[in-house]
Amino acid sequence: MRERVLLALGAFALVALLPFLLAAILPANQAQFWTANILGRALVFGIVALSLTFLATYGGFISLAQMMIAGVAGYALAVFVEGAVPRVVGGLGYLAAIPLGLLASTLMGLLVGAIAVRTRDIYLLMITLALAMGVFRFVETNIAWFNGYEGIRNVVGPNVFGRDFRDPWVFFYVALGTAALLLVGVLYLVRSPFGLVLQGIRDNPRRVAALGYNVALHRIAAFGVAGFIAGCGGVLGTIYNIGISPGTIGLGATVNVLIMSVIGGLGHPLGAFLGSLVFTVFDTFAANLYDRDRFNTLIGTVFLVIVLLSPDGLTGLASRLRRLATGRRE
Amino acid sequence: MTTPAISLAGVSRRFGALQAVRDVSLDVMPGERRAVLGPNGAGKTTLFNTICGDFPPTSGQILLFGEDISALRPHQRTRRGIGRTYQTSLLFNGLSVLENLFVAVRGLRPGRFSFLRPRGSDTGMAKARDIAERMRLSHLLHEQVLNLSHGQRRQLEIGMALAGDPRVLMLDEPAAGLSPGDRPELLLLLRELPRSLTLILIEHDMDIALPAADFVTVMKDGQVVVEAPPDRIEDDPVVQAIYLGGGH
Repeated sequence: MRERVLLALGAFALVALLPFLLAAILPANQAQFWTANILGRALVFGIVALSLTFLATYGGFISLAQMMIAGVAGYALAVFVEGAVPRVVGGLGYLAAIPLGLLASTLMGLLVGAIAVRTRDIYLLMITLALAMGVFRFVETNIAWFNGYEGIRNVVGPNVFGRDFRDPWVFFYVALGTAALLLVGVLYLVRSPFGLVLQGIRDNPRRVAALGYNVALHRIAAFGVAGFIAGCGGVLGTIYNIGISPGTIGLGATVNVLIMSVIGGLGHPLGAFLGSLVFTVFDTFAANLYDRDRFNTLIGTVFLVIVLLSPDGLTGLASRLRRLATGRRE
Repeated sequence: MTTPAISLAGVSRRFGALQAVRDVSLDVMPGERRAVLGPNGAGKTTLFNTICGDFPPTSGQILLFGEDISALRPHQRTRRGIGRTYQTSLLFNGLSVLENLFVAVRGLRPGRFSFLRPRGSDTGMAKARDIAERMRLSHLLHEQVLNLSHGQRRQLEIGMALAGDPRVLMLDEPAAGLSPGDRPELLLLLRELPRSLTLILIEHDMDIALPAADFVTVMKDGQVVVEAPPDRIEDDPVVQAIYLGGGH
């Protein structure tokens, strides 16, 4: 267990050094681009994917609602924060609007968990997808609260120690700090009584009930935790994009989070970030590599190759390589 | 008059056209060791599931120390004092032996939703270690359950059922799949259970069931057909007919 936390922290410490390395080897504008648009964006996607891998790895629930839940946090922030365009409610500073966004996503997580509480496997997948698409259509057609198709703009983020939040370095390190805290939080939580029972539900829900636990309540609470994690990604993503529109939580975005999680692998929460990095690199450079319009073909091929080579994703591949190396040493 | 630990009154359970348990009435007194015998398909496990709440009764009433629990959900029945094992081990394969027992201990304590890890001085963890010792699993505390032998899994099953200090312990074929070498160990474990504990045991193996039981109930086709002390069971003509296929 301690080894897993150290592995995660070590990985994040290495990532923390990357902006310096990039600044040393690349021209300033390219280094900034890599810092914010590749690494920063990958961290934001990774946080949303972490909410999915938390549920899938430790609870056995694959939810397709996580991007929508992230969007709920983003929309709540955009609706309430001062300066957003158009002004819907406004009046709140970021210090108040961000917790409100996280509260909204946690509540949405609990709601999704409560609605889907009796379903598993493909049925859970379908019901969470249906909920995600329902919310997507609702925000797309609602003008009064969500400004319909156009969404809400000018969510620029707070100042951090006097510096603009959208400064590539500020954005990167805030995203990295948030991701590291959430990752360590997940690794801590899964060894707590709540986390152990969650894994019990994954392995044998009938036995968990026979031990005196209310399985339904535990499941709903797990979705609430995942909602909070997704919300952190939603808030950061909204500030990164300087606003939010329905496309952020559409079918494509929903499926992308699942693809990232599977590419990274569900064996270790770190997989969410590995998957999101691979995805972001291909998403950004697809046009250079092949053709912008063929991005789905490209990422689909990458997805297929990784799944065929290693059904448990990049983290599974790394584990096998490590075992192989250890075996050789022995 | 002493209130029975478990009292069934006209309990039936139907699955569509199949009547798995038919009008079963029986009383098990506090501290009694009751064995439930019968051929495959007699309805023994369904009766267990009906008492524990996995399949609520279609009709009839189940009382636990006088309280009607017929409509309660499984976790609510467990919280009122029923502990059980399963015919096929239902364990948490991804967790260690200690974690399995800790989850089992924590099930009936406050703090089930605790997000804080247990400290070294946690009483639940201490109790989990104690149960592991009683179940002779101390040397495997940190072993992942997936790696345990079948016999060790059965021992862990019983340990988990005992972890919540049940008033009534229900063991569903604890000797199923055990090698002849593991069976005396199991019998010893059963004999070491505190006498205050009410025990209901489903078992095919008469060498396990009869020495462990004070009283025996035999079922066939979902009904109770014989109730007798263990020393009269093997000679009972109905039991002989069921097990040896003779007429009666």
